[in-house]
Amino acid sequence: MVNALGRTPDEIWPRLLAADRSGFHTRDDIVPGRSLWLAEVEGRLPRIPQRLRRFDCRNNALTAAALEQIESRISDVVCAVGAERVGVVMGTSTSGVSDAEAAIRHRVRTQQLTESFDYDQLELGGTASFVAELLGLGGPAYTISTACSSGARALASARSLISIGLCDAVVAGATDSICGLTTNGFSALQAISDEVTNPCSANRRGLTLGEGSAVFLVTRGDADIRLRGVGESSEGHHMSAPDPSGEGAEKAMCGALRDADLDASDIVYLNLHGTGTTLNDAMECAAIERVFERVPPCSSTKSLVGHTLGAAGAMEAGFCWMVLERALREPPGPAHLALPPHAFDGEVDPALGALDLARAGAQAPMGAIMSNSFGFGGNNCTLVLEASPS
Amino acid sequence: MRAAVHHWEAWAPGVEDEAAWRRWCADPKELEREGCPDARFLPALLRRRCGPLARIMLTTAFRCCETHAGAPLATVFASRHGNINESVELLERLAHRQPLSPTSFSHSVHNAQAGLFSIAASNREASSSIAAQQDTFMCGWIEALTLLERAPARPVLLVMGDVPLASPFAPLVDEPETSYALALLLSAAAQDEGLRFSIEGGQARQRRPRWPDALEFLRWMLGDTTRLELASGPRRYVWQRD
Repeated sequence: MVNALGRTPDEIWPRLLAADRSGFHTRDDIVPGRSLWLAEVEGRLPRIPQRLRRFDCRNNALTAAALEQIESRISDVVCAVGAERVGVVMGTSTSGVSDAEAAIRHRVRTQQLTESFDYDQLELGGTASFVAELLGLGGPAYTISTACSSGARALASARSLISIGLCDAVVAGATDSICGLTTNGFSALQAISDEVTNPCSANRRGLTLGEGSAVFLVTRGDADIRLRGVGESSEGHHMSAPDPSGEGAEKAMCGALRDADLDASDIVYLNLHGTGTTLNDAMECAAIERVFERVPPCSSTKSLVGHTLGAAGAMEAGFCWMVLERALREPPGPAHLALPPHAFDGEVDPALGALDLARAGAQAPMGAIMSNSFGFGGNNCTLVLEASPS
Repeated sequence: MRAAVHHWEAWAPGVEDEAAWRRWCADPKELEREGCPDARFLPALLRRRCGPLARIMLTTAFRCCETHAGAPLATVFASRHGNINESVELLERLAHRQPLSPTSFSHSVHNAQAGLFSIAASNREASSSIAAQQDTFMCGWIEALTLLERAPARPVLLVMGDVPLASPFAPLVDEPETSYALALLLSAAAQDEGLRFSIEGGQARQRRPRWPDALEFLRWMLGDTTRLELASGPRRYVWQRD
């Protein structure tokens, strides 16, 4: 995993628990006439090998930075099952559009695209092809692009690919990178906050964009962490605003519980979609109140790493994975989950109902945890993860 | 895993109904580059926002599920290029430091067709939008299988479509340039029914198809050979019927 909080889970985890918001900074060169808060990944990214230079763009370099961390585990699985049995499902909404922007700017001046630009960087399918070619995988490789639910859907599809026998393992995750298109687009939609995003606050004014990559190795059989439930829905409501009733969100959460064969009371932590827009947080909280008789501790991690759009579903599933995995590392005895605190200005919007927003140091007993991703265009996906100690 | 095709609809300029497609499949010719249906079934407000790709994909999608009105239906919208031509216009505006229209931005995303279909058909079921370079149709089929795995009793509407790339990027891609869509209404099939799908490894031969893979699949589906192999890079995608 790589995001504004760090370059590895070991770097990210303590800053996540400390609700460290220092990953945000402002840029005034990306949306004309506006200073924008962003959560960017700092520093150098891995070099794309020369043989894959047609894929060389920031988005793929972020993916490579995340893949490096699990490369040896992937190699082990490839040795065991064969490269042709390992698939790739990646989510993205941006692919290499930031590099395409530079190419188009160059073309406006000179009639020519930049020499380094290749369509493989921009086309959405290239995000998955890059992973397959970098790792030498021969199973099916495709990209899901359903806006902010892309990353969650990638994990859902990975699990199904194994279940139907087309793959024995799948490299699945998602990457998005800061670019002119999404910053200007969401700015035009008046969805971006002037301050760093403030989810569930009475003072919330919108989202803050972030970037990063989170990738998983999904395998058959017994792993320490299981993807236990998937729930999905469409809204049929509006292209860029959620259904205020929260029915789509409710359907996704209920579907995930049903798929996991769990009751709402089994969920011990909920990672909110929590974008910090007026509409999202209101409809999400309304849906949560209907699904949960007693609302579990919740937090939005978008006020720490920004809204990473196409990557958000995988990023937040990654945070949930870390919550479970860190608890398994504890010495024998009743394990407790350390929860990422909900970072905001502390002024809960009373209209949002009985929310239990996780505070610094919050813990929960070992159990199943849920992550919500609700996409632009009305595309929702909820995941349930749990630890299965071996 | 097996899936059965209950119904299909396709559209390309000049090949617009079942009879025309049966003639084309028996004697295929290069297809026209540009054109799009009027999509009168869409409410005027939605239709106005739809570019050629959305009109073509939504036309086949709606026709394909007419027989299935009202019942829950998951959807997969597969497109190699999606709405990239709309994105190019936005990128050119950015290059000139001009503001973007919020509506143009929200209709340029890859899942715009999925969103429009869900709104126009009041469909609340699971929906995915995918892309996979040259393998997009085959991976669309695979994604449809994953949705059948998650809910075997719920049919899946798979819609594959593309339009030719706009000028800045067209020279970078070698492929048949046509405007088209194919919609397939799929359901999970028992052991001796439907179409068996598998992926076989080995070195596939490189090929440059004369028409899109989805239409090659349609030709096979309407023909009488038992096996179809669509190869791409190191992968051979195989459909078989008994």
